Amino acid sequence: MKRLYFFIIGAFSLVGLWAIYYRLTEGLKMTALTSNVSWGLWVVFYIFFIGLSAGSFLLSTMVYVFNMKQYEKIGKVALLSAFFSLVAGLMFIFIDLGHPERFWHALVYRQPTSILSWEIHFYLIYMLIIVAELWFLLREDISRLVIKAKGFKKFVFKLVSIGYSIPDNSEKLERDRKQTHKWMKILGIIGIPTAIGVHAGTGSLFGVIVAKHMWNSGLTPILFLVSALVSGAALMLLLYALLVPKEKQDNTMLKSLGGLLILFIAVDLLIVAAKYLVGLYNYVPDERQVLLNMMFGERWYIFWVGQIMLGAIIPILLLSIKKGSSTLKALAGLSTILGIFCVRWNLVVPAYLESPMPGLETAFVHDRLLFEYTPNLFEWITSLGLISIVILLFSLALNSLPIMETKEGKEDNGETADGVQAI
Amino acid sequence: MEEKKITRKKFVITSLLGTLGLVAGELIRQSHSIDNIENEVDTENKKYGMVIDLDRCIGCNACTIACKQENNTPPNIHYNVVIEKEEGEFPNVYNSFLPRVCMQCDKPPCVKVCPVGATKKQKNGIVSIDYETCIGCRYCMTACPYGARSFDFGENYYDQPNTFEASPYQEYDKIYQRGKGKAPQNSVRKCHFCSHRVDKGELPACVTACLGKARFFGDLNDPNSEVSIKAKGSWTLKSNLGTKPRTFYLGEKRDD
Repeated sequence: MKRLYFFIIGAFSLVGLWAIYYRLTEGLKMTALTSNVSWGLWVVFYIFFIGLSAGSFLLSTMVYVFNMKQYEKIGKVALLSAFFSLVAGLMFIFIDLGHPERFWHALVYRQPTSILSWEIHFYLIYMLIIVAELWFLLREDISRLVIKAKGFKKFVFKLVSIGYSIPDNSEKLERDRKQTHKWMKILGIIGIPTAIGVHAGTGSLFGVIVAKHMWNSGLTPILFLVSALVSGAALMLLLYALLVPKEKQDNTMLKSLGGLLILFIAVDLLIVAAKYLVGLYNYVPDERQVLLNMMFGERWYIFWVGQIMLGAIIPILLLSIKKGSSTLKALAGLSTILGIFCVRWNLVVPAYLESPMPGLETAFVHDRLLFEYTPNLFEWITSLGLISIVILLFSLALNSLPIMETKEGKEDNGETADGVQAI
Repeated sequence: MEEKKITRKKFVITSLLGTLGLVAGELIRQSHSIDNIENEVDTENKKYGMVIDLDRCIGCNACTIACKQENNTPPNIHYNVVIEKEEGEFPNVYNSFLPRVCMQCDKPPCVKVCPVGATKKQKNGIVSIDYETCIGCRYCMTACPYGARSFDFGENYYDQPNTFEASPYQEYDKIYQRGKGKAPQNSVRKCHFCSHRVDKGELPACVTACLGKARFFGDLNDPNSEVSIKAKGSWTLKSNLGTKPRTFYLGEKRDD
C-alpha cells in the first residue's frame, strides 16, 4: 500500500519535473495567459499555498506560544506542512515569472514602494523561522535517528541535525528540552506577526491595486488572512484524521479542531458577505459587474458549488454530525481545502475578466489580448506535478521522522528510556 | 490562572510588536515613496507630454501601424490602439474614436508596484521599462488602469523571420533584433513615446503619422510650447484615480 502510494506520487513528480523543464525552456507561451489576464492558475495556487502555510503556522503557535496543550499532537505536523506549503507557494511563483532565472533581482534591486518586494523578504524570514522551529523541535528525534540509521539515511539525518547530538545524561537532556521549549516560544512570538505579514501582505498585493476595484479594499488582506486560517485548520483536521491510526485518535482533539474550523469558516463567510454585498450595492461597474459575473456568470459554480458548498456548507454539516467518524471529519477537511482553492480562484481571476476601458477588448484583437482565461492542459499538468513533488517530499519527511507521535505517547512505549540508555 | 495572565501579556506585547513592525515598514516605505521624488519640481529637464484632439481623429489607425513599424512589435503587443465605439441611436449614429497610448502618469501605479524597479519614471516624464532587469512578474500590468502594458510571450519569433521581423529596431537606448530567447521576450512592454526618437529630437512615430494632425507632442515644462497651450482645457482618462496622466485629450469628455 505504502509502496504503491510512493510509486504513484513519484511518477506524478517526474511529470512535474518534465513540466518545469518544458516551462523553463519554452517560456510563458505555454500558458493560456493573455496580456489582459496577466495572472492565472499558477498565481491562484501560489496564494493558495502561501495561505495554507500561514494558516498551519498560526495553528502551531497555539501550541508553542499559547500553551494550548490539547493541540500538542498537531504541533509538529502543522509546522512541517507550513514549511512544505511555503515551498510549494514559492515554486509556483517561481515558474510564473517571465524570467525565472532573474528571481534574485528581487533581493538585489529592492523597491521599497512595492509590496511584492517586501513580501519576498517576508517569505524568506518566515521560512528561516519555520526551519529554526522545526530544528529545535525535531533535533532530539533526529539525533536519535542518526544513531539508529545506516548508510545514506544516516548521512541525510546527520545533515539535517546540523551537528546536534543527544546529550549523554538525562539531566542535560532535560536542560536541552527546556531550551527547546524556550526557543520555540521566542521563535513563535516572532513568527506570529511574520506569518500575518506573509499572508495579509499577500492580500495587500491585491488590495492596493487601484485599477481593479474589486480588490481595492481594506478587507482584502483580512479576507486573505481569515481564509488562510480556514485552510490551515482544515489541513490539520485532514492530516490528523488521515495519518493517526484510528485506535490512537483522540476524539476531543478531532472535535475541538472541528469546532475551530467551523468558527473560522463563520468569520470567513461574514467577511465575504460584507465585502461582496457592499460591492453589489452600488453601481460601480468594475466592481458590481465583476461580482455579478463571478456569482451568476458563466462560471457561477466556482462561487456557489466551490466557495459556498464545498468551502462552507458541506464541512459545517459534516462536522455537526454528533457521532461522525474520523473519515467524515477528514472529508470535511478535504472539502474545505477544495473550497478555499475556489475562494483563491475567485479572488484572482474574475477581476481580470472585465475590460478596464470599454472598447479595449475590440480595439485590437488577438489571442493574447483577450479578456478570457481558461487554464490549458499544460498549466494543469504543471500544477499537478509541482504539487506531487511537494507531497512526495512531505510524505518522505512524515515517513522518516516521528512527526505524529507525542512525547507522552513515546514514553508509554518506553522509547525515550531506550534511546538515552543506548547512548 | 497565573500562567494564563502571562500568556495574555505576551499576546499583547506580540501584537504591539507586530503593529510596530508594520508601522515601521510603512514609514520606511513612505520615506522612500515615489511621491517625494515626484514632488521635486524639475524645471531644468524637459517633461514630455501628448495632447490628442479627439475631434480631429478620423480613426484611420495610421498611428497604430506607425507604432508597430517603429517598435517592431509582434502581433500580440500593442503600444498604441484606437478604441472604436458606435454611439448614438438610429438614425443619428456615429463612430467615436479614442486613441490610447501609455498615459506616462506622473503618479504611475505601475512603477510603484514593480518589485525590482525595472519600470521607472524618467526625468523627462517618460515611464520606461528596463528589459534586462524585468523579472516578468506582470504585477505592473495588473496595476495599470488603462491596459497600456502587454507581455511579450515570445510568440512570432521564428527561426526564419521575414525581412520586417528580422530588421533591427531601437527602444530606449538599445538596439534590439527579434530572435529566439532574446530580449525583450518574457518581459512587459509598453508605449514609451518613442523615447529613442524623442532623444534625437524627433517626434514619436504616431504623431508624425497622424493624418488629421490630431496629436501634439512636446515639452510640458515650457509654457509656450504647442503642447502646453493645447493642454489647457483638456481632460485626462480616469482622473479620479489620481494617476495624473501626461497624455491629455481634447474634445468631448468621456467618462472612462
